[in-house]
Amino acid sequence: MKKTIYQGLIIILLFCVAWVSITKIDLVNLLKVEELTTETEEKIGNILFELFKSSNQEIKDPFIVNTIDSIVSEICFKNGIHKKNIKLHILKKDEINAFALPNDHLIIYSGLIARAENQEELIGVIGHEIAHIQLEHVMKKLINEFGLSMLISMTTNSGNGTEIIKETAKLLSSSSFSRKLEKEADMKAVNYLLTANIDPKPFANFLYKLSMENHTKTKYMSWINTHPESKERAEYIIQYIHEMNKENNDYSQIISNQSWKELKQELFKLN
Amino acid sequence: MIKRKIFHYTPSEDERESACNSYLMSLIAGILAVPLPIINLIATFIFYLANKKNTYFVRWHCTQALISQLSMLIINSIGFWWTISIFFNSNGASITNNYIGFIVVMFLFNLTEFIATIYTAIQTRKGVHVEWWFYGSLTNSIIKPKS
Repeated sequence: MKKTIYQGLIIILLFCVAWVSITKIDLVNLLKVEELTTETEEKIGNILFELFKSSNQEIKDPFIVNTIDSIVSEICFKNGIHKKNIKLHILKKDEINAFALPNDHLIIYSGLIARAENQEELIGVIGHEIAHIQLEHVMKKLINEFGLSMLISMTTNSGNGTEIIKETAKLLSSSSFSRKLEKEADMKAVNYLLTANIDPKPFANFLYKLSMENHTKTKYMSWINTHPESKERAEYIIQYIHEMNKENNDYSQIISNQSWKELKQELFKLN
Repeated sequence: MIKRKIFHYTPSEDERESACNSYLMSLIAGILAVPLPIINLIATFIFYLANKKNTYFVRWHCTQALISQLSMLIINSIGFWWTISIFFNSNGASITNNYIGFIVVMFLFNLTEFIATIYTAIQTRKGVHVEWWFYGSLTNSIIKPKS
């Protein structure tokens, strides 16, 4: 019996030694696993963006684009995020919505900008979406929903690609991430705002305000519909700001009040 | 790793066939249900139960096939669920060197077992008694000839 136990132990040892030895080879790089994942993400991001662009007009007005871009750039700069990676797109649509797509596409609907009462509210939502991008929530969600193999097949021409692409687009623009991921993105957004010396309270107020809105308006309130616990989120954001003990009255603004007004006017003209 | 031994009696044609089938069972089930590692074990176990009261030669080989499948089940189940967790990204699982290393070793162990199974199936069909390293001695300590 002793001999059998020794033989069994040798097999286990052999397995472990072989496993450890193979892990010493950097197979992830050798097999270009990361490149494949990045390539897939890039392709899916571009396919999805083209889909949104085909059904909604992209706003190219230099003033509007530059103003929103300066907000995104400032948040990124103050928080050490590579702005170059984030691809900002403003689409003309009445829905109050913003969302992130794979490959760092950030989509903002004109309805959201029009509905925000001040720049801090908009910055909060943008910060939240940048957080989803930075925390890689988008691909995590897609892999959870569809599986990696399905996503890879989506980028090839085989199979029922179109249906899956439509489903993916719907999923990303009209459903929320898990409660845990949403909270993570909220906290990160608050941190971004505090680091950039932007008052995060209007972001919480924005959530609270929208959660109180009349339900008849919900057709245009995708962002709030896709983030169902908005009231609760507003509360924990306020609590977090208190905990951070970062309340001050010396917050700055990214764009001037005049630019904010002009931005709203330009959007109004477009409509 | 594999020892051909002289059995203390000459197995009959039926015994050889049954013993050979115990190995083939795991192969056929494995081919039919590749992604589910438990299928091989279930198939071998059913065959083992069906031959529980058979002759010593048949019981011996059914047992060796069964315990080899049991150990492979542990390795394959880890590999299977690890892969599933990566596909569905649960708990942030991703493709790492550890994962690839495990899959490579798992594949090598499965390949070795596959070759050994085919070889043993052929030999037992000829009536040759084949004992695998570790599994053979473990089987010897489990299965005793009926007095």
